[in-house]
Amino acid sequence: MTAVTHVNEPQYEVVWPLGKPAYAARAPNERVADLSSKVIGETWDYLFRGEEWFPILREELSKRYPGIQFVTYDTFGNLHGLNQRELVAKVPALLKEHKVDAVISGIGA
Amino acid sequence: MPTVSIISSGFLKQAAVVAKGLGLPEMAIAEFPGVPMTQSKAELRRQVIEQLLPRVIEGLSKPVQRQAAEREVLLPEPREIVFRGDFDALQEHFHQQGWSDGMPVVPPTLERIAKFLKFTERDANEVIGVMPPANRVASVWNVAVNGVMAGCRPEYMPILLAVAEIVCTPEYKIEDAGSTPGWESLIVLNGPIVKQLGFNAGQGVMRMGKQANTSVGRFLRLLVRNIAGFTHAPEGADKGSIGQSFLVALPENEDAAADIGWAPYSVDRGFNAGDNVVTVQSVVAISAPTYSGTEKAEEHMKIIADVIGERACGYWSAIGMVYANWHPLIVLGPSIAKVFAQDGWRKDDIRRYLYEQVKMPASRAEHYAYHCGQTGFRVTQAVKDGLLPPAYHESDDPDRLIPVFQRPEWIGIVIAGDWGRNQSKGYVCNHVQGVPTSRKVRLPQQWEALLAQAQK
Repeated sequence: MTAVTHVNEPQYEVVWPLGKPAYAARAPNERVADLSSKVIGETWDYLFRGEEWFPILREELSKRYPGIQFVTYDTFGNLHGLNQRELVAKVPALLKEHKVDAVISGIGA
Repeated sequence: MPTVSIISSGFLKQAAVVAKGLGLPEMAIAEFPGVPMTQSKAELRRQVIEQLLPRVIEGLSKPVQRQAAEREVLLPEPREIVFRGDFDALQEHFHQQGWSDGMPVVPPTLERIAKFLKFTERDANEVIGVMPPANRVASVWNVAVNGVMAGCRPEYMPILLAVAEIVCTPEYKIEDAGSTPGWESLIVLNGPIVKQLGFNAGQGVMRMGKQANTSVGRFLRLLVRNIAGFTHAPEGADKGSIGQSFLVALPENEDAAADIGWAPYSVDRGFNAGDNVVTVQSVVAISAPTYSGTEKAEEHMKIIADVIGERACGYWSAIGMVYANWHPLIVLGPSIAKVFAQDGWRKDDIRRYLYEQVKMPASRAEHYAYHCGQTGFRVTQAVKDGLLPPAYHESDDPDRLIPVFQRPEWIGIVIAGDWGRNQSKGYVCNHVQGVPTSRKVRLPQQWEALLAQAQK
C-alpha cells in the first residue's frame, strides 16, 4: 500500500508488526441433531453464577429431550483455577470415560 | 467433540479472538444476555430459560458453517514491506490497523530492525513462543519490530528477548492479560545491565521519561497487543473494565542493597548476585505512596503493614486466595531499607511480619470474592482442597482472622526510588495470572564492543 506523500518528507518502508497464527483455521465438529438420550458434559470456570444457571439448563433440557444425561462440572473441576492446565489435560480422557456426546462450556464473562 | 461455549454479552469480542486464535472461527457460542453478576435470581432464571437455553440448543444442534474456516488467508512474510509513506501517513496507517498503542511509533524499517538483530546471536526466524489468545507466533524478528516501534535502542534487544520469553511461558498466562481487572505486566531488572543501558533506579523510577525504562515498558505493551492480540477496547480483545496504562521498567538500586548488606531481588528469584535478570509479574493495583519517618524498623513496618498490607493488598488478596497464588511486590525506598538493616532486619523479617500481622476476616474475603464473580469460593473448602494452608481454617468461625499474605516467601521486595525521601510503595499482583517469572538475559559474545559502538 502506498499513501499520499508530502514533498521533502522522508519516506518509510515498513514491515508487519504482527506474528503469524500458530493454528490453521478448521471447522468445528459436526453437531448433534437430536439431544435425546445423549450425554452432555459440563465444563465450568467456577465463575459468574454457574452454580445457579447450570442446574436450570439441566432442568430445562431434561424436559425437552427424554433420556438426556449430564456429566456435571464437578467431574472436571475448576478449569480456570490454580490447577487449570492439569485439569484441562484430563478433559479428553474424562469425556471418553463418561461417553460424552457434546459439551456445554461456560462462562466467558 | 461438539461444544457450545456460553459467553456473556460483554465478552463476545473476546470470544471471537479466542475462537480465531484456536483456529475455530465458527466456534458455537451461546450468548448469555447482559451481566450475570447484576441480575436477580428471578431475572437470571428467566434469561436462562428464554434466551440462553435456545442458544445452547442451537449451538449443539445447528449444522456447522464451514465456508469461512476453509478460506485461506494470506499474511505478510516477515521482511515483506507492508506500507510505504511519510511519517504522518505511516502513523495513520498503524492507528487504523490497530498496530500502535495510540502514540506515534518509530517506523519499523528493515534497517532499524537489522540494528536490533546485531544484539543477539539468535536466528531472526527463531520462534520464541506462541502468545494466546490470538495465538500468534512471537519470534526474534517481531520482538525486534515491536522494540523498534516502542522507541527502544538496539542495545536493549537482549532484555526485550528475555521479556518475550517470559510472557510466552504458559505459566505466565498472558492469555488472561486482557481480563477485566485490567492488570499490567511490570518488568523488574537486575544486574550490571541496568547501569550499562542507563536505566533509572532512583527518584521517579516509575515515571515515564527515561528512555530505557519507558521504551522497554512500552515494548511489552505493544507485544501483548500485536502478538497476543489484546488490542484496545471497544473494538479489541482487551477487556480491562477500567484498566491502566503500561508500567515503565523497574530496575533495582543494587548499590543501595549492597550498602546495607542485602542481596538483590534477583538472588531472591534464584539467581546469582551480578547476573542480569529480568522478572515480569502482573500488577493490578498500586498502593498510596507510603511514608514512614522514624529510625526504628518496627515503626516503619507498622505503617507499611497498614498502608500497603491492609489497605492496598487486603481487598485483592481475596481474589489471590481464590486462585491460591498471589505475589505482591514492595518497593522500599533506599533510606527505609537502610533503617531496617541498621536495626538488624532482613527481608525475610519484613515478609514474616506481614504474614503474621496483616489479617482479615474470612467472611470478608468470601464477600469480596463473590462480588468479583468467584461466586462459589469458600475459604474453608479451599483449605480442605489443599489450596490454602491450614492457617486459613483454625476454627469454624466465619469471622476468624486469616492472613492477607498467603506465604511470606511470595512477597517480593525491591529497593528503588528516591534516596532523599522516606517513601515506599506496594504493587498488588493479580494472582495466578502474571505470576513472577524470571529469565537471565543472554548477551551476545561481543556485548561490550557492540555496546561501545552503539553508545558512541
